[in-house]
Amino acid sequence: MSNSIRYLTRRLGFYSIAAWAALTLNFFIPRLMPGDPAAIIFARFRGKLTPEAMVALRETFGLTDGPLLIQYFSYIKSMFKGDLGVSIAYFPEPVANIISTGLLWTIFLAGTSLVISFIIGTLLGAIISWKRGGRLDSFLPPFLAFIGAFPYFWLAMLSLYIFGFKLEWFPLRHAYSDDVTVGLNIPFIFSSIYHAILPATTMVLVSLGGWMLSMRNTMITTLGSDYITLARAKGLSSWIVMLKYAARNAILPNFTGFGMALGFVLSGALLTEIIFSYPGQGYLLLQAVRSQDFPLMQGLFMTITLAVLAANWFVDIAILFLDPRTRK
Amino acid sequence: MLKIILISLSIFSIGCETKKERKEERALTIYQENTASWVRNFNPLSTSGTARWPTSCGIYEPLFIYNSMQGEYIPWLCTDYKWEDNNKTLIMYVRENVLWSDKTPFSSEDIAFTFNLKKKHKGLDTRDSWSYLKSVKALNKTTVEFKFSRIYVPGFDAIVGQPIVAKHIWEKIKDPIRFSNPNPVGTGPFTEILRFDNQVWELGKNPNYWQPNKPEVKKLKFPAFPSNEQVTLALISGDLDWAGAFIPAIDRVYAKKNPEFHKYWFSETGHTTFFYTNTMNKVLKDSKIRKAISYAIDRSLVVKVGMYNYTEPAHVTGISGKMAKWHPKDIETKENWVKYNPILSNQIFDDAGYYKNKNGFREDKNGDPLSFDIIVVSGWSDWIRSAQVISQNLKKVGIKAKVKTYDFGAWMSRMQKGEFDMAIGWAEKGTNPFPLYRGMMSSRYIKPIGKDADANWHRFSTAEVDSLLLQFEKTSDKYVIKDILHKLQNIFIDYAPAIPLFAEVSWGECNTTYFTNFPSKKNPYAPLSPNSQLENLMVLVNVKVR
Repeated sequence: MSNSIRYLTRRLGFYSIAAWAALTLNFFIPRLMPGDPAAIIFARFRGKLTPEAMVALRETFGLTDGPLLIQYFSYIKSMFKGDLGVSIAYFPEPVANIISTGLLWTIFLAGTSLVISFIIGTLLGAIISWKRGGRLDSFLPPFLAFIGAFPYFWLAMLSLYIFGFKLEWFPLRHAYSDDVTVGLNIPFIFSSIYHAILPATTMVLVSLGGWMLSMRNTMITTLGSDYITLARAKGLSSWIVMLKYAARNAILPNFTGFGMALGFVLSGALLTEIIFSYPGQGYLLLQAVRSQDFPLMQGLFMTITLAVLAANWFVDIAILFLDPRTRK
Repeated sequence: MLKIILISLSIFSIGCETKKERKEERALTIYQENTASWVRNFNPLSTSGTARWPTSCGIYEPLFIYNSMQGEYIPWLCTDYKWEDNNKTLIMYVRENVLWSDKTPFSSEDIAFTFNLKKKHKGLDTRDSWSYLKSVKALNKTTVEFKFSRIYVPGFDAIVGQPIVAKHIWEKIKDPIRFSNPNPVGTGPFTEILRFDNQVWELGKNPNYWQPNKPEVKKLKFPAFPSNEQVTLALISGDLDWAGAFIPAIDRVYAKKNPEFHKYWFSETGHTTFFYTNTMNKVLKDSKIRKAISYAIDRSLVVKVGMYNYTEPAHVTGISGKMAKWHPKDIETKENWVKYNPILSNQIFDDAGYYKNKNGFREDKNGDPLSFDIIVVSGWSDWIRSAQVISQNLKKVGIKAKVKTYDFGAWMSRMQKGEFDMAIGWAEKGTNPFPLYRGMMSSRYIKPIGKDADANWHRFSTAEVDSLLLQFEKTSDKYVIKDILHKLQNIFIDYAPAIPLFAEVSWGECNTTYFTNFPSKKNPYAPLSPNSQLENLMVLVNVKVR
């Protein structure tokens, strides 16, 4: 057991260095972009503001031309305090408040579809590899690869047009209906599930193939191992051999992939959110980059970084249980 | 799971139907801001432009509204004004019997307070009013006196367009710059926040509004839309009543779907979208060459391909539509270098000594080919298409011009630093052509290449213009004003500091199923576009329930 703890603390140490590196990049990269936020806000008025407004804008945002290194240290200090600063694009709203308007929705929509897609994809992969060459195995992989190869926005727009606009089976936009009260009540919960069905389905459809194929391929290698032959020779039922013996080993690469995919969840399914007018992180990130809103960008990247690292750490723990080799 | 879905589906479809039947409760549903989720901000003074749209055209009100369709100032919180003391003092007469939405009486004190607040906090002085103001005082309940530190008549626009805040509320705010004003108290027609969620919010009417029996609309509703495609769908399906979105092929996509109710009006703003030529470039510094380039551009093709024929080719002065009243009488006799004339263009290039080589491209005297980049913002498809047409046009007269797209921030930075050969861009706007010509030709904005210039990106100036602009700032005499603006136009025509491309229009659509009396070509009491800032107040007050 002490081995496991040493393994986990070693990983934790590695993750904290990774976090620091990410936070540092997070500070410098946006500042390498040309242009400055005051100019961009000024430009948003397209000539309706007089040029003199630039003075007032710089004054408002307290934009300083101080040395980058000093700015960097004060940035690290405030990050540790959990103070993400004030957004520029949504001035004077604190970054933390803005992120919180979208974070839960993104986790709900993209997180659920990731989990669904992971479970279904992995299961399908295990099943079709078991019946290799069968009807399912010859149909599913090419079909899902075909769907996955569509440009996502096209698939999403098409389903919105057909199922939302023409057939009116699903709502055209938003995460919940306008006539429900936001909060923990039955109509609101139903409404948000109903609104999530169409966008979630499109996201699951395009990502399913990846999970299935990688599971299928590792399964096939595993199924050739001696211990599988032994298990079969012992007369165990094929479900037990498939799930408990083969799949448990074959799922490890997929698990690692799952940890990585969680990162993409928080960066928000940008296209999904724009096409379905879903109030998530993706649009915020786009807006932050467009208006060179450094504080908002930093806040978003920080939540993404921390979430990815945390997710990977949990995957490490899960692998510890699944794979006895890591416990040695 | 399936059961749950089916149940919620049926709950839903019932909900939708009842919503359509309850017509009397329908809120005027508006799209103006592109966003995925709403942030509660109603600060009308903040420079940042991050307050919600109705803040300065529904909740708070200005002294006068400049009506760009009629070309006149409409009295609003003030009823009249007069200049005194050789244009160094401006007296405003304040409307009586106006109440704040919390029933406190509105008075001249509020106006004086608003301006003095801007003096105290430089970050609120969006239009730099205190660079020419000396003091703002309430003389009595109904008069305010603005004393100027220097004569600056064009400052009138900034003063009368200022949204006024309530003294009794804002004097308690410690940091008005960072104040998001979540529960606004205003004098406008809509002041009550009925709900505010991240996807939708509603604004109810002011029970104490000063215009009798107005507004007729009970509440406004703002669903969040992050894309124009979603706006188009919502307009067609009747979920939106009023929008300001660019919709390609609007006749086919929207208007013809239901000609009785689906209306749009892309009104001319009087301003122009320009093709900028950097006058610091050794070839483009010659005004003859700039005119030759202009002659080579087929504007009707640009308008057709780039702008879906939603607008018209530009006037040579850069002002048109309602602004055309400022044109000098003899304008027709001047050189019209915005007319498509490739033969003349070729001839000017030949005369200037730029001859075509064997590949058909023009070279300078050292044998270097004339080659330019046209920079546009990536993703702004109307500009990109226009630039591509221009590039083709220029190729025909032997000029290489490559279209390059940049991200908005990078594009803006290149424009300001003067690091471009050619570009498509907007120009300064105002209630008369003065800001346009000042931005185009004043030396005060010129910075060396590599330093940010806030206007005059193409870096053109003549001493003549500078002295005319100075005279203009000091006069309130309408004949002198007219005369100076005529002279400025003539100078613009002589030098071609920038090349006018097409007249600017503002996008405005409405669905009149539930509401009527939106502005239209036949009833132009204001522009239809909700992007018209203060003028939107007139629409909100005048829209009627069907």
